[in-house]
Amino acid sequence: MFILRSIFVDPWPFWAGGIVIGLLVPLLYYYFNTALGVSTGYGNLVKIFLPAKNLQWIKTKYTETYSWRVYFIIGIILGGLLSAILSGNLGITTEMGRFTAIAGWPAVLNAVFFFVGGILLGLGARIAGGCTSGHSIHGIANLHISSILATIFFIIGGIITANIVRSLFLGGAW
Amino acid sequence: MDKKLGFLAFGILFGFALSRVGASDYDLIVGMFVGQDYKLVGVMATAIVVGALGMQVLKKFAQPVKSGEPLKISYKELKKWSIAGALLFGFGWGITGACPGTVLAQVGEGKLFGLFTFTGMICGTYIYARLKEKHPDL
Repeated sequence: MFILRSIFVDPWPFWAGGIVIGLLVPLLYYYFNTALGVSTGYGNLVKIFLPAKNLQWIKTKYTETYSWRVYFIIGIILGGLLSAILSGNLGITTEMGRFTAIAGWPAVLNAVFFFVGGILLGLGARIAGGCTSGHSIHGIANLHISSILATIFFIIGGIITANIVRSLFLGGAW
Repeated sequence: MDKKLGFLAFGILFGFALSRVGASDYDLIVGMFVGQDYKLVGVMATAIVVGALGMQVLKKFAQPVKSGEPLKISYKELKKWSIAGALLFGFGWGITGACPGTVLAQVGEGKLFGLFTFTGMICGTYIYARLKEKHPDL
């Protein structure tokens, strides 16, 4: 019972998450000769949800609309769902940690805030050529200089905006 | 193993791990950037070390890979605008407390505003596709 509880209910210690996530890098190469990465798959979602079929980049890079990348994305969503179900936290919530707890904005403004941040993530990941999984985990694990550089600037960017948000909207405390 | 089903299964494992370790938690990600909580630094550092060791084992003992092909490691080239893109990505990371993988776990957990981050990411990728029409060096 203790073991089940540690896996499915209690938050994992950092090393447990790190081991599972890190093992994905060699496993995906062994089984599929493919690099771990999530953000490239958002191009498939663009092709599915937005009128973009005539854009050159989508046309050449995303010949198979429902590629394995879409299945990976669906899997990650299901993994989050499974975690919520098994830990007893299932349910739709409008909470987003200390942001919604402290800022106290109306829901529409919250939605705009996260949407705008999402645009920066999507655009930035494509210009940088990858995201936290493709660059920071997969790339650094393979000692790629471009990934080390990208990760340094991911972190610098995060430090800048998180601190601005904290001072402007979250009372500077915390 | 069928590639699509395989990635579905590995995706479930990935999303489950991200969620259980707290990577889908706004407070942990933003807490890392404001210097209050370094748990996720530990997660990423462990993942990198385990990934690096795993790759060494793979290169030594498991070549060629399962399909019989030689191992082909993908390298992401540094382009003219890569660093600027990385900075933009970081801005989004610090604002939303999420990245392209963890936001999917958030959506699965039922976090409504994660759905807006997710939608924004699709639109940001669309903006990239539009920009790339006129600026092929992006």
